[in-house]
Amino acid sequence: MHRTRTVRSLLLLLVLALVAAGCGRSEDTGGGGGNGGGNGGNGGNGNGDASGVVDPGDCPDNDTAGISDDNVITLASSFPQSGLTAAFAQISKGYKAYFDKVNDAGGVEIGGESYTIEVVDKDDEYDAAKTVQNINELVGTDGANAFAVFNVVGTANNVALREDLGSNCVPNVFAGTGSPVWGNPDYPWTIGSTLAPYTVESKAFADYLATENPTAKVAMLVQSDDFGKAYEEGFKNAIEGTDITIVEVQNYAPGTSEVASQMTALAASGADTFFNGSTLLACPTALEAAKSEGWEATTFVSGTCISKTLMGIAGQNADGVLATTNIKDPLNPAFADDPAMTEYRQTLTDFAADDVDPENGIVAYGYTQAALLVEILKTLDAPTRSGLVNAMYELEGLTAGLLLDGVTVNTSADDRFLAEDVQLIQYDADNAYFTNVGDVLDFEGTTTELTPPELIES
Amino acid sequence: MGLFIDQFFNGIGTGVVYASVALALVIIYRTTGLLNFAQGEMALFSTFVTWWFTDQGLGIVPALLVSIVLSFIAGGLIERIIIRPVEGPTKNPLSVVIITLGMFLAINALAALIFIKPGQEALQMPLLFPSGDVPGIGIQKAIVGRAAVLAIECLLLWILLQKTKIGLSLRAVASNPESAKLVGINPGAMLMLGWALAAALGAVAGTLAASRGTGAFDTSLMQQVLVFSFAAAALGGFDSPLGAVVGGLIVGVADSLTIQYVGFLDGIELAVPFALILIVLLVRPNGLFGRNIVERV
Amino acid sequence: MTKLPWFRIVAGIVLAAVALALPYFNDPDINTVFAQVMYLAIAAMGLNLLTGFNGQISIGHGAFFGIGAFTSAILVVDHGWPIEATIPVAALISAGVGVVVGFPALRVKGLYLALITLGLAVLFPRVVEKFVEGPGGVPLLQPTRLQVSSTISSMADDIYRYYVVLLVMALLYFLAWNLLRSRAGRAMIAVRDQEVAASTVGVNVAGVKISTFALSAAYAGVAGSLSVLVDRAANAANPLLYFQRSIEFLIAVVIGGTATIAGPLLGSMLLVAIRRRTSDTEAMAPALLGGALIVVVYVLPDGIVGGYLRLKAYVLKRRAAPPAPPPSANDVPNPTPSTPSPT
Repeated sequence: MHRTRTVRSLLLLLVLALVAAGCGRSEDTGGGGGNGGGNGGNGGNGNGDASGVVDPGDCPDNDTAGISDDNVITLASSFPQSGLTAAFAQISKGYKAYFDKVNDAGGVEIGGESYTIEVVDKDDEYDAAKTVQNINELVGTDGANAFAVFNVVGTANNVALREDLGSNCVPNVFAGTGSPVWGNPDYPWTIGSTLAPYTVESKAFADYLATENPTAKVAMLVQSDDFGKAYEEGFKNAIEGTDITIVEVQNYAPGTSEVASQMTALAASGADTFFNGSTLLACPTALEAAKSEGWEATTFVSGTCISKTLMGIAGQNADGVLATTNIKDPLNPAFADDPAMTEYRQTLTDFAADDVDPENGIVAYGYTQAALLVEILKTLDAPTRSGLVNAMYELEGLTAGLLLDGVTVNTSADDRFLAEDVQLIQYDADNAYFTNVGDVLDFEGTTTELTPPELIES
Repeated sequence: MGLFIDQFFNGIGTGVVYASVALALVIIYRTTGLLNFAQGEMALFSTFVTWWFTDQGLGIVPALLVSIVLSFIAGGLIERIIIRPVEGPTKNPLSVVIITLGMFLAINALAALIFIKPGQEALQMPLLFPSGDVPGIGIQKAIVGRAAVLAIECLLLWILLQKTKIGLSLRAVASNPESAKLVGINPGAMLMLGWALAAALGAVAGTLAASRGTGAFDTSLMQQVLVFSFAAAALGGFDSPLGAVVGGLIVGVADSLTIQYVGFLDGIELAVPFALILIVLLVRPNGLFGRNIVERV
Repeated sequence: MTKLPWFRIVAGIVLAAVALALPYFNDPDINTVFAQVMYLAIAAMGLNLLTGFNGQISIGHGAFFGIGAFTSAILVVDHGWPIEATIPVAALISAGVGVVVGFPALRVKGLYLALITLGLAVLFPRVVEKFVEGPGGVPLLQPTRLQVSSTISSMADDIYRYYVVLLVMALLYFLAWNLLRSRAGRAMIAVRDQEVAASTVGVNVAGVKISTFALSAAYAGVAGSLSVLVDRAANAANPLLYFQRSIEFLIAVVIGGTATIAGPLLGSMLLVAIRRRTSDTEAMAPALLGGALIVVVYVLPDGIVGGYLRLKAYVLKRRAAPPAPPPSANDVPNPTPSTPSPT
């Protein structure tokens, strides 16, 4: 009986396979944007080998791929647009508005010609396997359908991409996490964004404690994954040689917000400082739990928690918490008349959909990344991939978008992190915005020292 | 000692939610013999509905009551329309599993699509119980409140099942559908009732879970809960409502105590409830309170 | 049987030819999709052996898949093994864990077993997260392109991978087919249908159950190992991933046709096809996938194979001369297993 069933079923298989093959043939994996065909410059790297970090000679001949004949530069992106982390999709609202503004004014001028910028994106629901699939589709497995990959969110997501993009010499710029792994010299084609590396954040907190409370006893709440590890290791490193001690560390699983038991444990540890490295809903939940435990502690929150929604949920429980940032907070009245802020709001009004909230820090972040990219493109002699990447490793004193005054982007072959200056900020719950505490802290060039090497070099 | 008690009651607080969902799972299992993977997501949807009513201006308690009624109706409809065609002794039981898994995916996505605006990380709901501790005892009001709600649920359920005619019919159909039909009970109606009850219980459970602390919740609300609730139902015995409650509380307390006292399991505290269940099941393969069904050869 | 079943032989050869030629007519990404379907089919077959033919339900086979994947990844990335050599190791280790899980499964039955296995699938990524350090601390191990490239210089990477997976799948399916026709296979089915009666005729019920668990775990482990070859990554960053995998295997088994040989493969193909069609709709995707699954189960309650058999029976009956003989119990072999209920 099995035999008959098997063979008949195999027949079905034949039919299905042929159908699948047919579909496979007709599916067009090419994206809307340009193909490698036409390009203005010739093969060489018009920018010279200034930083020389990447050499187009090591690449397949595709230095100007992703730019169409009518000068449209195509960028590819993949980020969560549904599911728990869908809020990150707001980054794209910021950058799309900026690119639309630039395109509307004629485009970016590179080497005497004008180019417009298009971004194509797909939803990966924060799943690294989907990110790889999406980018493969958008960029093409030979890397010819997009000029560069832009703003992929998630450490695992970008790590999953770096090998393929690197071997095809496709730049992956403004990777959207603060993981120190973007500084890995073995993967120069992957570059992070202005998000301060998590270890710099930890150092900023440690330095604050060193002056305000040199014998602080710290309790930490971190995620049980790489994000949490970076905070934990970074902070441990940063307090070495001081009298600050970590008395308790509690983990929670990513994607959950039930942290009541962890908070009871932390509150009972006798710590006077709380390092709240949690994100999404766990963050305001932890702040509320701390208050209801009656725990009085200097509290630091992760840079991923300072969004309007999360702080709004925390409400009075977030009063006085400290954090770091390097972008101007649209909610802070001190920036109401700031020219960069006014321009930002105008851009959103003109070019963004009505439901985009200019007060959302995530939108401001996306806007700033786009602004920086455009400024960097302008410095190139010709729109080449290696030119872009090399240029990104020799930035000096660059500022654009909503970067705080005093924060500049500086990179070199030895310092591959874009923005290592941060401003310590403190939340004013009554007025619902963050105020600046002290001056901009300069950690320029220090990330590599601050971070345990295995977090960068792996 | 104080810390132990604090964590113990933390565990009771979360355990109550696990128990509520486990109760719903057990009701469905008792009446229809099925495991409903979508129970958590149905509860999630009900929670969003509760939130929506509070957003329209209703107080939290009236909103919850409305949501309970709507969920009751929806649960019955789901059984009749979606589940009925694939359940029954002549059908492949795995089909129903697939259907409930399909519902799991669909309901979660629908809830997000309908209720969450782009860019919003989470929704916020008014609190069911005031914050702060009950004076004198030092236990949070929320925890006492939740326990009280669970106790009321159990009482109502007991009265329904043991003291009313409908409850009798429900139990009859659960025990022997053929004989029940012979005495004039409509098994179809009873199946619908079972699912309706479970959905209503889910609405309470979800709202209890969301309406604490900051009152903020997102679509992940029930996912962690569901795993623990399955564990709780298994621990207590799938056919025992008492087992569901006891199981839920045990799982909650075990989890909290592990977080506090067992450092090397950091990040994998989930192992403890499962290890617990495994041990219990090895000793009593039908759960703590389950009945042993004798198999005829 | 005095006549050679020419039709079947020719059909078999044509099918084999198609399967072998397929990769040369398609883009590399489509070949990768085929390879993914096939390793999914291997895992589904493993689950089918356990659940369909032996009646033990598991929603934790994703964990065995993960064990196989990380075994291979660790051996390739940290110890430089050629990936092909890691496949048997992955099978052995998964089988070993399967034996360990199989013991409590003797006592814990039905739904309760389903939940213990669920615990496995949920715990696995957390355990990996704790003990496996990839780049930046992410639990992601990625062999380099070179480490998973074609060992035959004239063959492209994607085509090579397709053939490796095809070969392994064909082997494992043949093994399963043979097993089920053998005495051991009959013992498996006997245990499923009537455990008590089986033990009275001398079947070592415990032995059969544990070995089936180990075997099905091995299949899932091999699938995981192959996934490292095809996807070039072992990834535990998503805590729900292995639970999702477990569900995928179960779905593939059921919609293909539980307790059939071709079922797991057909189910995998259908599942991947549905998933691809719905994935482009972004936010609606899970809803559509869920809806599609519900529809498929309605339309084909016995899976694709069951539906095909019913169609065949219907067609045959129509062609029979009237008055049609009353359908006897042996007319349509019913692939539905008897209820794996909690007893």
